[in-house]
Parts: sequence; C-alpha cells; structure tokens
Amino acid sequence: MVTEEKKKVINRLKTMYPLRAKVNETYLKSIEAINAGRPAVWAMLNFYYGDPILKAMDVEMVYPENYGAVAAAMGVAQQYLEQAYADGFPTHLCGYSLAGLGYTSKMMREFKGEVPPESPFGGMPKPLFLLSSSAICDARYKWFQALGRYMDVPVWTLESPSPGVKELFIEGAFEAMVNMGIKHLKDFVVFVERMLGKKMDWARLDETVDLMIEVNRVWYEVNELRKAKPCPMHSRDFWSAMAAALFLAGDLKDSLQCFKDMYVEVKDRVNNHTGAIPEEKYRLLFAELPPWHSLGFFDKLAERGWNFVIESFGYHPPIPLDLSGISDPLERITRFNLQFFAGYAEDARQQNLPSGSFAYPYIKFAREWKCDGAMLHPLISCRSASTHLPYVANMLMENLKVPSLTIEGDIVDLRLFNPEDALAKAEPFEETMEHYKRMRKQEGFDW
Amino acid sequence: MSDKGLSKVQEIYLNRSQRAKELKAAGKKIIGYPCVYVPLEMLTALDLVPYRTYGDIKEPVTETDRALPTSFCSIMRSCLDCALKGKDDFLDGMVTIHSCDPQEKTARVWESYADYPYFHFIDMPSTVRPEAIEYFKSQLNDFRKTLEAFTGQKLTADKLKSAIKAHNQQRALVQQLYELTKPVPPLISGTELVQVVKALMSLPVAEGNDLLTQVIDEVKSRTDGPKKKPARLLIWSSTLDDTGIMQLFEAKANVVMDETCGGIRAYRSSVKLTADPLDSLADYYMKEITCARTFRQAALGETRKDYAKDLQSRFGYLEGIIKEWKTNGAILLLVRYCDPFAFEMPSLKDYLDSIGIPSTYIEYDYTIGALAPLKTRVEAFIETIS
Amino acid sequence: MKQSASNTAPGANLYFAGLDIGSTMTKVVLMNTTDRILSAIKGPTGPEHRQLANEVMRMALEQANLQLDDISYIIATGYGRVNVPFADDQITELSCHARGVSSLFPNARTAIDIGGQDAKSMKIEKGKLVDFVMNDKCAAGTGRFLEVTAAILGIRLEDMGDISLKSTKKIQVSNLCTIFAQQEVVALLSRGEKLEDIIAGLHDALASRVAALVRRLKVEPDVVLTGGVAKNIGMVKAMKENLGCELLVPEEPLLTGAMGAAILAREIYIKASAEGETISTKPRRLEKATFFS
Repeated sequence: MVTEEKKKVINRLKTMYPLRAKVNETYLKSIEAINAGRPAVWAMLNFYYGDPILKAMDVEMVYPENYGAVAAAMGVAQQYLEQAYADGFPTHLCGYSLAGLGYTSKMMREFKGEVPPESPFGGMPKPLFLLSSSAICDARYKWFQALGRYMDVPVWTLESPSPGVKELFIEGAFEAMVNMGIKHLKDFVVFVERMLGKKMDWARLDETVDLMIEVNRVWYEVNELRKAKPCPMHSRDFWSAMAAALFLAGDLKDSLQCFKDMYVEVKDRVNNHTGAIPEEKYRLLFAELPPWHSLGFFDKLAERGWNFVIESFGYHPPIPLDLSGISDPLERITRFNLQFFAGYAEDARQQNLPSGSFAYPYIKFAREWKCDGAMLHPLISCRSASTHLPYVANMLMENLKVPSLTIEGDIVDLRLFNPEDALAKAEPFEETMEHYKRMRKQEGFDW
Repeated sequence: MSDKGLSKVQEIYLNRSQRAKELKAAGKKIIGYPCVYVPLEMLTALDLVPYRTYGDIKEPVTETDRALPTSFCSIMRSCLDCALKGKDDFLDGMVTIHSCDPQEKTARVWESYADYPYFHFIDMPSTVRPEAIEYFKSQLNDFRKTLEAFTGQKLTADKLKSAIKAHNQQRALVQQLYELTKPVPPLISGTELVQVVKALMSLPVAEGNDLLTQVIDEVKSRTDGPKKKPARLLIWSSTLDDTGIMQLFEAKANVVMDETCGGIRAYRSSVKLTADPLDSLADYYMKEITCARTFRQAALGETRKDYAKDLQSRFGYLEGIIKEWKTNGAILLLVRYCDPFAFEMPSLKDYLDSIGIPSTYIEYDYTIGALAPLKTRVEAFIETIS
Repeated sequence: MKQSASNTAPGANLYFAGLDIGSTMTKVVLMNTTDRILSAIKGPTGPEHRQLANEVMRMALEQANLQLDDISYIIATGYGRVNVPFADDQITELSCHARGVSSLFPNARTAIDIGGQDAKSMKIEKGKLVDFVMNDKCAAGTGRFLEVTAAILGIRLEDMGDISLKSTKKIQVSNLCTIFAQQEVVALLSRGEKLEDIIAGLHDALASRVAALVRRLKVEPDVVLTGGVAKNIGMVKAMKENLGCELLVPEEPLLTGAMGAAILAREIYIKASAEGETISTKPRRLEKATFFS
C-alpha cells in the first residue's frame, strides 16, 4: 500500500533510485543463491561489523529487520504478527521480530521449509545461519535465538560494546573494546569458514573493507552538503539511499559510484542554490524511522515549506576516520564499527553531556544543520527507536531552544500513524517554531 | 517487636532505607545499584554499603514521563520515578550496568538528572565468549579505578578476596534458607522470601549474614509455617520484589522456588575464587546469573544447532530444582515491555512441556491495579494443575 | 467459618448453588444431585449491586421453592466472586465455564466466552479446564466494543446482530481502539456507507480480535461460544467466519458459568462426603457484603 502522491513537491535526486533498488534486490538474490546451492544468511543490521566478512566470502545477506518494514508497507505483516501471537509470543515485542517469527513459523511449519507463496519481494529463504548483533537493543539478538523453535540453524551473536561517555575515556577502556572486537571477529571468521567449508580470502576482505569505508566516507560528505540553505536533499532521499551504505547491499564498487554520482548531483544543487523543496520555510530534524507506508505525508508538509534536512545519527555513516595505517582488516573493521558508536563521545564529553550517543548527536545535528524543529516519531513496538525521544526533546530545548513535535506510530502496525492527525498538528507547530526562532535570535544563536 | 529473624526482616522490608541512613549518619558511604549484575563485592571491599534501588508497585508513576516513554519496562520506570521523587537522595553514588536495554537507557537518564558525587556505568557484553568475559573484566577494572578515585583507597586483591568470601557466605546462607522450602508444606513462604531478599539488599553483607543465620534458625524450628496447599509453584520472572504479587500466588498455592532477582537468582551459585579475583567476578556474573539477557548456546560458536539440546543447555538447571522441590507447576511471570524475558518465555515453555511440567505465562504491569486481573489467571492455572 | 458434618444420607435431596458475579450481569443456578436446574436467574450487577448478590439468590430460591439452608454447597465465580459472604468457596470463571459447557456439550474441547468486559478461551479435556487465555485489558476485544459502537449509532445493542445480517458489503474497520471507534464510525457514515455494512464491519472487527486471542490455544472442535455476545446472531456468524469452524451456542449462553459452578459445588460436596471428609461452609445468611467481611 505504498502510494506516491501525484503532485511531487519534493525534488527527488535522480541518483537516489539506483541506490534504493539495492536492498530490495537482496531477497531475490538470496533465493537464487539458495537454489543454486550457494550460501544465504539472515543478518541483523550490524553497523559494518559482520557484513564485510560475509561479503568477502560471497555470502548473500538478507535482512529480516528490513523485511519487517517491507511486509508492513505491502500490507502483509498482520498475518505474520497473528502467527507469532498464536505461537505464544507476547504482543508487546518489536513488530519486526514478531513479523519475522511469524514468517518463519509459517515457512517452516505450514510450507515445510519452502518460502511461502506470494511473499513480498520473493520472501526470505531458510538460511545457512543467522547473524545477530547486540547493537542497539536486546530484541536484536533474542529474536534470532527465539527462531530456534522453528529452524535448527546456528546463530552467531556479534558483540557490540556501549560504554558511558566518561567511562569510555578511562585509560585503556577504548583499547579493551578494540581488543575484544578483533578477537571476536577472528572467532567469527573461523565460524564462517566452518559453515561455508572454505577459507577466508584475506585480500578480498581487505578490498571489501576499504570499499565499505570509502562508500561511507562519500556518503558522509553527501550529507554534509545538506547543511546548505536551502537544503538540496530531503530526508526521503536519505531514507531511500541509506540502506545501500548501512547494509552493504549489492556490488560495493557500484554503490561507491552511485554515491559519488549523488555527491555530484547534490553539489550541483548547492552551487545553484536549488533546494529539495520549492520554498524552504522550516528546516527539520527527523528521528527515528519514518512511517514507510505514508511517505506522501512529507510531500504535504513540503507544500507548507517544511524541508527535512537531517535524520537521527543511528542511520548516518560514522564520522570518517583515517584507518589507512592499520594493516589488519579485522582491526579496521572493529575501529570503523566502534567509530559509529563512539565517534561523538569526545565532543559529548567536552560539552558535558553525560548521555553521549543518547542525546549529543541530535544536538550537534540540530545546530550544524540549523534546524528549526525536530519531528519525533516514537514507534510503539520499537523501544530502541523510541525510548530516548522524550529525553532528546528536552535536550534540544534546553540546549538549543529547538522545539519538538511528537507523532506516534509503529513499525509494523501502520494503523497507529494517522497522517490527518499529524498534519493537523503541523500548523500550530509552525507557530511554535517561529516563536523559538525569535528566542534563539535573542539568545545569540545564529539560526 | 522482636529484634531477630523474620520479624526483623519484616521491619526492614517495610522501611528499607532506615539502616542505610543510620550507617550514613555514622560516616559510611551508601552506593545504590539497580541490578544484581553489579558486583557488590567491589563495593564491600572498599567498605561502601551497597543498597539496591527498587521501584514501588504502590507508587503511581508521575515523574518518569518527562524522561522515558510509557512503553518501557514498567519496573525501571517505577525505579526512576522513585529516584526523581527524591527517595534515593541519601545515596552517595550509583553504579549502573548494561544488563538490559531499560537498565542502560535509565542509566543515561539517571546520570543526567541525579546529582550524585559518584556515578559509574559498567558495560556488559551479551555473550559468555572468552573475549567477552575478558572485556567484562576490563570493565570491572575500570570500575575499580573510579571507586579508588572516589574513596581514596586502593581496592587490593586481598580486600576483594575477603569481600568475595563474605558475599559467598551470604549466597551459601540463602541456599540453606531455600532448602527449607523443600518440605511439604514448606517451612517458609514465598512472601517471606521476598521480604528476606529485599532486606538483604538493604544491608551491608555482614549484617545480612547475621540476619540470615537468625532467620534460618527460626524457620527450622517454627510451628507457624505456611499451610499445605495443593499446588507447589516455581515462579520464573525478571524481578519479583513485592509481597503483594507473591500473595496472589500463595492464596491457593505454595511458592517453593522463585527464580527471580528478588529471589534466588543472585544467590544460587557462588564465585569460584581464583588467583585474580576480578577474573572470578567476571566469570561468575556473566555465567552464573540466569537472566534472560545473556545469550547462551549449547556450545560456543556451534556450527550445528539442535533445539532440544539448546533448551537443555539453557534451562536444564531447572530440572533438578523442579524435582528436588517437588514443584508441580510453573508460572512464567512477565513484566510488560520486558523484551529479554518475553523472547525467552516461549522457549522456556517448550522446555517445561518437554519435561512434563505445566506452566502458564502471565503478564503484568508493575502497578498495584494490575494485580487484580492476575488473580483470576493465577487461580485458574492452579485449578488446572490441582 | 463453621465446620459442619457432611450430609451422607444416600438419595437425600441435596441442592447446590452456583453464582456467577460478572462485571455486568449476576447469574445464579440452583441444581439438585441429578444436575437438574431448579432455577436460573440473571440480574444486572451494576456498581452497587455487586454487593447485593443476595438479591439475585433470594429470587432464585423463591423460584425453586427452597430456603438458603437447603443448599448444601455454594460456589461463587466471576469477577465479583469474593463479594459473596455466603459462598462456601470461590472458583475462577474459567474452570466453571469449562465445566458448564462440557455438561451441555460433552464433546466440547474449546469454549470461548465473550463477556461485557473480557474475553476468554478455555481448553477442555474430559470436562475439565486444562488451559486458557484471557483478555481483560483491552475493551476492543470484548462486548464493550459493541455497546460503545451501538450507542454511537443510536441503535439498541440487542438489534445490532439482526441488522448486521443484512449487510451486503464488506467494510474493514481499521481502528484498534474502542475510544477511536467513534471517529471511525462517523467517518464511515459520512462516506455514505450503509448502516448494516458498518455494523457488520464492527462485528467482524470484534470477531477478528477475539479470534486472534483464541488462536493462542489450539482451537479444537467442538467449539462452543458463550457469554452475552453469543446471543448476538451477527457475532456468531462473524466468529464462525474468523475462526473458520462451526460453533455451538447454548440456549442460555449467559448461564454456563453459574451452571459450572453449581456442578462443581455438587462434585466437591459429593466427593467429600464419599471420602468422609469434613467440609467447611459459610453461615447461611443473606446479607449485604461489607468491605470487612
């Protein structure tokens, strides 16, 4: 039920389209792989930690988290949820996990291990193994463990440290994280070698890691360009393109070229003062995941002059890091992955924001992308995407006098997001944003 | 009121912070902790008084909404609410830990809103792989550094070994106490056990050990113990910290084992002392605390998976308990929005089904009003197994 | 609590009572040893009446031409079961419904009860409750949903079922929550949708929610539907469609709980007598329950 508004107010980047296609293709590719006797793996988004290993060994990766969003957008998530409920899973659990559990239950029990007919994008085949990650939330590793009920498929859980800001700067703390990260990856490589029955091609891994880092570096630069006024690229394009960098989907050389092309297109717009929307009145930060099935909602807001210029850091590439002096690809992977979480810590510490990644990056983004407001979209069944939002709203107001508008939704129960309600809140919020613009001026802020 | 045993326990249960405040007035420093994964031995070793921060099922949550959403572990919401209302203001510091998401997220908020002289967050890995435990050890070492900076004392290996012995002693005593629920009927009720554990988590370890010794003696020879009921229950949950909840189960059953961290979870095993006490602690806390947050598998890095073996490796320790304590039913009590236990529960149920133990899952919100609907479910379950 | 010796005279006329104090209705069933129903009364519970179970009891006794003293054993069930001072014991409505349904339908293995404020499914084996699921958190999965929407439409609750049967068009009612149902109903009406189609849609929404709950236990035939909502012919149809199976409905769908309670009263009493055990009973006095009894 994904509908595009006939009137396209948002000026979409041409270079976004090839990037958007990449993750959708992963499903069919994985099914082809399985049918051809090649390995396919279900993976959690693991922030560049496990994916390069798999990519270097030609493993097709499928992302059940993404599949949850796909199922929701296609209107078929409900049957998977119902299956999961019927199987005894509590209803408050993450919608993606329930969709995944329900899908797997159907696949294994009803269809004897074959992909259920009419599964969106061809469905997800029974994998060789499951790669979960403890990054971001508990559900992301407990879910794959729970799949053991339906499939006797081995699980590997990738570790993901998350220290506090001041604790990170205790002498030796960061190095201990790096050491664990490298040792853990070494063991993971051995595991993958055993599962695939072949050895790691280290030269290939080197190349893959370098590509991964470069893709993200270019992507980072693209997003830096969005600081311009008017902002040349809308969040809709960010969301469409982000998966290619986050998930390392498809051919990385091709992705690199796509992102380079995107850089050129965006730079062009900056030079010509072309905005993503006709008249930029308000610049917005959006956190966390958008209502995938109702993206036309942003076009309505664009008509009112709302340009969405930046998103929460959770989907953004890490702050670039020079890892060229490090010869061990496992170490480069580890440091790159840690950069994603710890990259903002030094700044956070200096500004004495104790919650680090919990709030600091939002403040940095709101300041540097000169946002007039934040739209916060708590998702009832995704706690990791919702918990910090009240806190973020407070921090944005306290530190920057930037107001927030909270609009509820869910990742799979799409009925919870009401676009009419949301639009009704937009008008009064404009007045709020105007008010705080004036306040910021008084307090000496430069936007 | 007697100064000993169960009545002392009850007194403490009803007024938990009294002893901590007395000790503070006498010059001791009191350090709060919200989760049993925090290695209390390290606090004890520096003569700090560990004090478990709890929520309060009877207190309506009013302050937490400015920092945390409603769809969030209701126990931690209550815990934070109590803190924001000043109930923990007498603490000299807090140690928080990355056991589960709510603990981690609440820790961030706590650190911002509370103004303690000492605050430390311990990170925890999710698995029990060797490199993960090594990492956890380095986290404990970092914890040691900030404790030393705070107290101005060195946390030597000897002090730590001493503290481990004292806490192991407490674990052994609690295990002895739980032996007393084996008889039919049990000599001590689940309600009383909740009170005992809460009292222990409000006292320095040595005082807790003395109290336990008295309680064990008293219970062994009592004649006013619980009445025999047709069902003997195992309660499995994250935290069960209020007698109001336990009393629901005990209206028509004997609760003989509570696998919760308001019950036996922190005491079932003991720290194996090795040359490096930090190694011992890292190993114990990661491996021996049976909370659903830790990822366990039948064999580390296994390339073959077998569901039955997986269940056996994760839950097999319950089989012995169920037999020895002659339980005939299990209640899997989930707190609303607790993800690790919610994912774990269906697998546990599969395991219990495989060993022929009836079980039911009950979900509750950590509020006193949530208990009434529980009553019917609990009673109906007991009716099915009686 | 009085202790009384059990009445062991064989063939004596023994009477038993089951009271089901629901959130909306109070039901009393009086039976004899052959499970013949001597009287069955329903009365509204209401907020004050929860404490007046004795009124309904009095009416039942009158109808059966009995005194309270004649009743050997009394079991109370339902939401308000603790508010019956003269009840000898309390058993949950889950066990009582299971028992009551089995007595009417010996092959019943699943009983679904949709009441005013809750919905439950009971798994039955050999006439006994062995497993169950309950929903009492969300009004959208209970009879309350239909009450609220009937009021919004200005239709009598008892007419909703018949009207729904006239529907010719399937409407998907999307809103999760009873509270938001009003908005949705108004929107549907203003869109020009027909009343009978809207009402059928509402029935379908309720049925799908109950079916989702029920499916957590394997649904095995015979499947019996009870509770106030079972009197709604539109709901019976919607439930059959959503569950994909046949449903049996007792003639008196509100009474299965009280019946089961009475039967259990008889079973407990007879068993205790047979084994020579003393059984404790409450004073046989019909008084208002107070907060301190």
